[in-house]
Amino acid sequence: MKKWLITALTLVTVSGLAAGCGGNSGNSGDANEGKSGTEQGGKSAKKTELTFWGDWGGEGQKQFETMVDAFNKSQDKIHVKYVLQQDMITKFLTAATNGGAPDVLFWDRWRTSLYAPKNVLHPVDDYLTRDGISKDDFYSESLNELSYDNKLYGLPLTVDARALFYNKKLLAEAGLQPPTTWDELEAAAAKLTKWNGDKLEVAGFSMADLGLFNMYLQQAGGTMLTEDGKTNFNNKQGKQVLEFWDRMMNKDKVYKVGFELGLGEGQDAFVTGKVAMLYSGPWMLSTYNKYGKDLEYGVVPPPAGPNGDKGSVMGGFGLVIPEGSKHHDEAWEFIKWWTANKDNALLWAKTSLNLPGFKPSMEDPFFKDDPLWKPFMETLEFAKVRPSHPGYSVMETDALAPNLQLNQQNKLSIEDTLKKSQEQGDQMLKDNEVVK
Amino acid sequence: MASMRKVERHQARTAYLFITPTVLLFVVFTIIPVVMALYLSFTNYDVLSRNDWIGLDNYRRLAHDDLLWKTFRNVFLYSLIFVPLNILISLLLGLLLSRAWRGVKLFRTFYYLPTLTSAVAAATVWIWLLHPEFGLINGLLSYVGITGPAWLSETRTAMLSIVLLTLWQSVGSNMIIYLAGLQGVPDYLYESARLDGANKMDCFRYITWPQLRPTTFLVSTMAIIGALQLFDQAFVLTQGGPANVTKTPVYLIYQQGFNQLQMGYASAQAFVLAMAILVFSLINMRISKAEESVI
Repeated sequence: MKKWLITALTLVTVSGLAAGCGGNSGNSGDANEGKSGTEQGGKSAKKTELTFWGDWGGEGQKQFETMVDAFNKSQDKIHVKYVLQQDMITKFLTAATNGGAPDVLFWDRWRTSLYAPKNVLHPVDDYLTRDGISKDDFYSESLNELSYDNKLYGLPLTVDARALFYNKKLLAEAGLQPPTTWDELEAAAAKLTKWNGDKLEVAGFSMADLGLFNMYLQQAGGTMLTEDGKTNFNNKQGKQVLEFWDRMMNKDKVYKVGFELGLGEGQDAFVTGKVAMLYSGPWMLSTYNKYGKDLEYGVVPPPAGPNGDKGSVMGGFGLVIPEGSKHHDEAWEFIKWWTANKDNALLWAKTSLNLPGFKPSMEDPFFKDDPLWKPFMETLEFAKVRPSHPGYSVMETDALAPNLQLNQQNKLSIEDTLKKSQEQGDQMLKDNEVVK
Repeated sequence: MASMRKVERHQARTAYLFITPTVLLFVVFTIIPVVMALYLSFTNYDVLSRNDWIGLDNYRRLAHDDLLWKTFRNVFLYSLIFVPLNILISLLLGLLLSRAWRGVKLFRTFYYLPTLTSAVAAATVWIWLLHPEFGLINGLLSYVGITGPAWLSETRTAMLSIVLLTLWQSVGSNMIIYLAGLQGVPDYLYESARLDGANKMDCFRYITWPQLRPTTFLVSTMAIIGALQLFDQAFVLTQGGPANVTKTPVYLIYQQGFNQLQMGYASAQAFVLAMAILVFSLINMRISKAEESVI
């Protein structure tokens, strides 16, 4: 009986596994090709089918599809299909190894230093040279973020940076001009704050996002990491930032911990006038514009630090080609069409209300003459991307931010905050660096 | 005699046939992944390009991973408050709602409702209730002259808020288990006790509580396992903050594996968590030491 049982079990297991594998390897690519093939009919059977993965749904999906349709109409050799992946990066992890990789990937640029060393992205330097695309047409910082080991792995699709949003009405009532330095920011924030007993009614300035430490540090003239990949904030500059925060939080009391938590779009504290000034990025413009009449606001570049240093953090997305794609050349054509062509980049920018990565398309009056876009373009001139160390984001969220939070709640002195952040941060950078 | 054995063999064969699908699923989706994870915890597997045997390196790194131990301290602290309160409240609710009074079914439904809500949806609503300035809870507190804390943003109250939410969500289902357990206590025990002059307290202490031992064992074990695997509520409410006081091992394992591409090391962390769950379940088994066989 035992023999019988084992045989049966083995048989079922093997057939189950085989069925599972068979289904897996053949699914996405074939299914897509088959479907699009019939859609195209016999008109042009030789079109190359490209799969484009992104994790923007809803409005974002429509914006992507607008671009994909425009591209498909512009030529008759390539047909691109946008596939929405909710959990894109996790899916890409398995797809990259089992052959189901897409041809083009929507890419949060900071991930490059983590993925490029694993050889899952296709370098594009040769294409750039071949097609005579000048790197000067892109912000060098955004290209740096897409590079690893002197190789470029894609082109920037959007660029963004934080700038200071202010409520025009509240500032006018208080007789204030938008601040340009730390001192002015502090004075304005103090004047704009309104307390009713121990209840905060209007916060002069939002101090919710301690992740902006990087930006303040730049304004104080510092950098997050040293050249050789160690933390670089346990010094005079780091201290200046924390002392500035301490004055705002504890002396001027311009903010209360947890004030904005859970206040979504409609109740957003800036929209409802409960926060007078805050650092945010261009992605919030469309949200704030929705409340047009009720909310009059302006944007200025981030105020300069004690020695006049300017600083902001650049971020944004790019398009990359996975090494596992079978159509590197065609994928490049698509990326080039979208990101390195003035008209197309502009169409994308207007469709999605993002600053495009391609500088010439920013010359357009749509950006040049808009008082809300201008401060962001000024900010981008000096904004820096986050350091490209694979352990950087872990260091920032798990070593630095927790200590900053303790400091904000007066549970850790400035000196100890910086010291602990340095010790824990250096350890995390070491634990998460590229293993050779 | 011979025919008897034949029948037995036939029955056994049918039984094996019936359990085969379940056992297969169990093997494919539980046993194999666990064995794989154990193997991976001795490698530097990164999903994409590497899978070399590195021996005990991952476990050596675990020893001085302060953040991991902090997340363990967090969930232990959480369990310490959550598990006893969970048992106490669900038992009280069970006792209260086991009587047949008017409208009892309505109340049973009300207490069970939160269990049906998705953790994420419930957490989103609770963020609102717990808001320091505009939330209902601090609003009520201000009527009696207390300035409530910023529940989710202050290090001293963040974990407490999560305990509140998870209790609200889990006592309903445990109440049902206790209700079932209470139904199983035979009436003649109470009758004879009453004849011997036992009061209500005595009845509970000497009859109900001992009779409910298997139920309590089940409820407490599930609560401990659930507590050690705390993830979605903590993630939605506080994202592990402030200052990492609500970060949990499961969250850290996910981050290490999928965000940092260190699946080998994440597997080692997961194994430590599995061991912790095993140890605590064993301790719990010792403490409740069910007299009759459990499950």
